[in-house]
Amino acid sequence: MKKRIIATLLGGLMALNLIACGSTAATTGAEGAPAAADTAAADDAAADAAPADDSAAGGDSSGVTLTFLASQDWIYDAEQELGAKFEEETGIHIDYQIVPADQYFTLLMTKLNSGEGPDIFGGQSGKYDIVSQYDVEANAVDLSNEPWVANYSEFEKEQTSVGDVVYGSTYFDTTTDFYMVYNKVLFEQAGIKEVPTTFDEYMADCKKLTDAGIVPFYECTADGWHHVMWFCEIGGRFEEKNPGLAEKLNNNEIKFADVEDFKTCLEQIKQMADEGTFGDNYQSDEYSGMAAALGSGEYAMTMAKPGTISEIADASNGQYTVDDFGMFYIPTLDNQVLNVHPCGPTRFIYSGSEHIDEAKKYFEFMTSAESIQYMIDNEPKVENLPYEVGQKPAYSDYTKNFIDNSAKKGTVYQDSIKYLNPQWFDFGQDIIAYLNGDMTVDEVLTKVDDRRTEQAQAANDPAWAE
Amino acid sequence: MNKAKVYPWYFAAVSVLLYTALSVIPGIIGIGYSFTDWSAYSKELHFVGLKNFIKVFSASDDYLRYISNTLTFTVVTTVFKTGLGLLLAMILSKGVFGKNFHRATMYLPSVLPILVTGLTFTSILNPKYGFLNNTLRSLGLDFLAKKWLVDPKLAFGTVMTVDIWRGTGYIMTMLLVGILAIPKVYYEAASIDGANAWQKFKYVTLPMLRQTLAVTIVLNVLYGLKVFDIVYTLTNGGPGHRTEVMYTAVFKMMSKGLYAEGTTISSVMFIFMVIVGYFMVKILTRNEVVE
Repeated sequence: MKKRIIATLLGGLMALNLIACGSTAATTGAEGAPAAADTAAADDAAADAAPADDSAAGGDSSGVTLTFLASQDWIYDAEQELGAKFEEETGIHIDYQIVPADQYFTLLMTKLNSGEGPDIFGGQSGKYDIVSQYDVEANAVDLSNEPWVANYSEFEKEQTSVGDVVYGSTYFDTTTDFYMVYNKVLFEQAGIKEVPTTFDEYMADCKKLTDAGIVPFYECTADGWHHVMWFCEIGGRFEEKNPGLAEKLNNNEIKFADVEDFKTCLEQIKQMADEGTFGDNYQSDEYSGMAAALGSGEYAMTMAKPGTISEIADASNGQYTVDDFGMFYIPTLDNQVLNVHPCGPTRFIYSGSEHIDEAKKYFEFMTSAESIQYMIDNEPKVENLPYEVGQKPAYSDYTKNFIDNSAKKGTVYQDSIKYLNPQWFDFGQDIIAYLNGDMTVDEVLTKVDDRRTEQAQAANDPAWAE
Repeated sequence: MNKAKVYPWYFAAVSVLLYTALSVIPGIIGIGYSFTDWSAYSKELHFVGLKNFIKVFSASDDYLRYISNTLTFTVVTTVFKTGLGLLLAMILSKGVFGKNFHRATMYLPSVLPILVTGLTFTSILNPKYGFLNNTLRSLGLDFLAKKWLVDPKLAFGTVMTVDIWRGTGYIMTMLLVGILAIPKVYYEAASIDGANAWQKFKYVTLPMLRQTLAVTIVLNVLYGLKVFDIVYTLTNGGPGHRTEVMYTAVFKMMSKGLYAEGTTISSVMFIFMVIVGYFMVKILTRNEVVE
């Protein structure tokens, strides 16, 4: 009996000891959340624990590693070069963790929701979405008193703030948006004289291109986001045809499934897919392959930012110059309204980070006049950034004229409609299901409504009160 | 049975305590949360009854399809991994030339990280630039070059095939160990009785392998029911929702901050797996000799 009691006690003590170890590990894990992001970073962070403490006390930050989680295409090479320069100057290393676009939001949100966020995380701006999707008041650090905020463009500041508190720094060229980019040489080769102004004209041109052996449009749905732009980017056209629609949608007075133009727009996307406008590999193609695809002369069009044109010309190995490319409005629903998209990829500092001061230094460095000019000069996709630091933008005359000569301008729907941007990838997945015949157009739009309701109710939005 | 030879209960106490603390209690707490509206959007927690369960099993949502996909994946991969694993184990248990090399090669895919396997196959199976289709085209077999991961009719089959490729070596290794442990005398006795190869397999190998097979089948079934990573890396549930399974749905729910719904699906799967695991072990070991 005595033996049994001793054995039980020993067993119990052992278990308690193990549980205690477990809880210590768990606590450390939570506090060292950024380090959990990847093993290499974990090692670095562990090694750097002491310098981090020093820096917190206002000491040397040298040797600290900041983890920066971002979606593919959000961190350009030029930024990584600046990151290396930043490390030279401060000793703070930036560990850029770039995740495929279609997996990014699920991964980020899982990390944030489980309290294991990286030091810096990327997210789309938008005054509604940063609260409903990222819960920045809990997950991000207040940046209102940072020196660069004084130079931050007002609109972008508003879209990254909750009330008067600034939480994010938009680091993306929000001064231009994605437009239809076309190859003038291939258009001419197919006998197309003018750019299309209606959807029917566009489809007729696509037919001519197909007949000439050219794939009309480089679509890339593998990333899960590009094809959604056919719908969301023509917010201005939706409003032009249905004045006050955005307000009604935001007040929950009308559902997506009730709007005929939404159905028509989705049907037009399906028509393009069915008639071979996107070629036959579009569901495997990725945005990162766009410049090479357009530069090869195999494809005649895509939807891209103006700065991409020089990238395409570079990828063409001398076959084309920037002057061989032009732009026109996204033609779904006969759109002739220039899309304006003031929101974009933004970076936030995770509130659970152990290296908040170092992350703030990185933001300050990246928004300095030198860094911004470096980005403009070295990254074709960046023609300007939303900060006023005396930089010289890189707009081409063609782009400037295209934007200035647009009589009508309208904000894209992901910026003006609540609870739409957070479901971008779900919407994209449903559109693919629709293109493949697995869903109907009504089901796709009903799903959008369901997800909006889900988020609005979870956020206690009075317009969705049950 | 001589009860004096049975180990006393406290020998298992530590394991039971740990298992209860780390697996059973969180499982039960999870089931409890399934009856609430727990989410990232609100700090308050309310009891909502069966609302989450009704949603999971309602036809208007896609969960029924995800359940069906999960079950299909489980059955197909278990059958193929076990069948092919057994066949390969039988072959490689004989005096085949270079059998150790073959054994190592077959086992290799199962030690590769799933992420690496996923990314490699995404590249190999790209319809336009992928190695597989390019090879087929160069052999003049263009009609066999398909859109492996994006054709709605093929995608799920492709995912299962990659998983079978990855997992067969592991099952083969376990079965090989089981086969090599069968005493030779049984086969010699069977030969003396005039048994042919099939009869030896049927009346000696299979019965003696029963316990190993039970373990591999239970492992395969439980793996299949909670499959996530291979689907996530190859298709992320697409094209559309064709390859979505229960745990990709749980992952998406959790990432949206809809914890209660995610927990509900996990709880359903937890209960289902406990029941399936219990009955499978019972059935597969029903003729086991009790000492």
